[in-house]
Amino acid sequence: MSAYTAFVRSGFLTSLAYRNEVWANIFGKLVQVFARVAIWLAVYAGVTAVDRISIGDMITYALLGGVVMGATRYDRIIRHVGTALKTGDVAVWLLKPVHYPLYLLSIEAGASAYTFLLAVVPTIVIVALVYGMHPPASLFHGVMFVAYCGLSFIIHFLCAAIFGVLAFWLMTIFSLEWLLQSLISLLSGLLIPFWFFPEPFGSIASHQPLAWLVYYPSAVWLGRLDIMQTLLYFGFGIAWAGLLTLTLTLLWRRAASRITVQGG
Amino acid sequence: MRRTLGTLLLLVSMYIKSQMEYRGAFWLDRLAQIVSYGAVLLGMWILLQKFQLLGGWNWPELALLFSFQLLAYALGASVSFTQLRNLDDLVRLGTLDALLTKPINTWAYLIFSGLNIGYAGHIILAIPVLVWALLAAQVSWSIGTALFFVGSLLSAMSVTGAVITMIGATAMIWVRSNHLFAIFFGFWELTRYPLNIFPAGIQAVMLTIVPLAYISAVPVAVLLDKPVPLLGDFAWLAALLAGPLLTLIAIAHWRYAMSRYQGAGG
Repeated sequence: MSAYTAFVRSGFLTSLAYRNEVWANIFGKLVQVFARVAIWLAVYAGVTAVDRISIGDMITYALLGGVVMGATRYDRIIRHVGTALKTGDVAVWLLKPVHYPLYLLSIEAGASAYTFLLAVVPTIVIVALVYGMHPPASLFHGVMFVAYCGLSFIIHFLCAAIFGVLAFWLMTIFSLEWLLQSLISLLSGLLIPFWFFPEPFGSIASHQPLAWLVYYPSAVWLGRLDIMQTLLYFGFGIAWAGLLTLTLTLLWRRAASRITVQGG
Repeated sequence: MRRTLGTLLLLVSMYIKSQMEYRGAFWLDRLAQIVSYGAVLLGMWILLQKFQLLGGWNWPELALLFSFQLLAYALGASVSFTQLRNLDDLVRLGTLDALLTKPINTWAYLIFSGLNIGYAGHIILAIPVLVWALLAAQVSWSIGTALFFVGSLLSAMSVTGAVITMIGATAMIWVRSNHLFAIFFGFWELTRYPLNIFPAGIQAVMLTIVPLAYISAVPVAVLLDKPVPLLGDFAWLAALLAGPLLTLIAIAHWRYAMSRYQGAGG
């Protein structure tokens, strides 16, 4: 266990070494969050509420999307696997007394913690000060938002790791990264919450695992789910995480048994 | 001159041949990019189904903006992005020193030896959407409009290439410049939307310091006869001149960066 704690620390400290990149990322994220808020202000165009969702709710939703999606990077996880495959480092990891997917999780946890503290929090504070942001609907919703954020990180990591491991068969990560990007942009609720989707697409989208990345954490904060629904959907999210963990474990076992080392 | 052109053509054909060795992977990658940009377009469509207008722009007008941006970016980035993103590594590892000793212009060698045909996916998606949007958005066509469309597309392509070149060349001064691409792409995503929806500060930045508004928002607004913030009646002229002007600035910046280059690898 101490090895994985060291990997978390390593992920954090590695990010610390590239400070210019972090500042550039803060700036890039700031622009994107401002843009998302600007889009909602433009579509509402003076209307106070659409389908009982106020413009204030949507600004808060846009900011929360930045909070839950700002730190973890699926592309970093997929590229990590891709580089290990290309250079042959993955063979070295198989010899070590550590589980490679858990190593990836630890490194990503460290890097995400760094980005969250130094990039995401300042960005959100600045935008919230400019536009204003609703507090959580209740103390219960605030606490559950934190729990949903943890679940969001786990599901985000599992999806990215599954796509990364698929590179063992496809021998390319490029298409996998782009495919996951398209799925996340549309099906996580990052750009448009599912309550604005036409039916039955909204209902379908809100029951697939990527919905737990942005849609549910933000919906919980805004109080769109009552106490029972919040707990029920948290349970569904845990079930999805379990299923994804099982998928990753099986895929990793098969990948490790058919590995072809190209580099060295 | 003829010999140099022959060499450049040979470099391009060699690179294309190397890319097409993995034909299956190549087309799979293009398909993934088409799906990814298609998802963005679908997201815009969903939004417009609910709200009808975004900053006064309807669905065909926004599709025109999206496709114009994607096409201009693909054409400009194919002769700049991947090649100059790698310049960062070439400087850091010292590999650039070897390129400087080659009897050919370093910029031309870098660009043509890595001409990125991978942007085919962007173009395959952008052209049909652009054609549909041009018909659906009710552009009032005339010879002047047609000439402006072609001229502004070429200008937008040059803006993309010039800005990416300047970011890439900065690696010769700072050693690392790839982090600047994070800022570039932050603003680049905004160019899918009309300029008038953003706060005045962002509008001003996108028309001056990070002049990416000329990639799509300004030329498409002129085509659709919509008002352009800050530029007003001069928008058409700015859209046409931005490309050539930024290209000249990029050439000057490249030369300056080359003169400052001292080597970083070993």
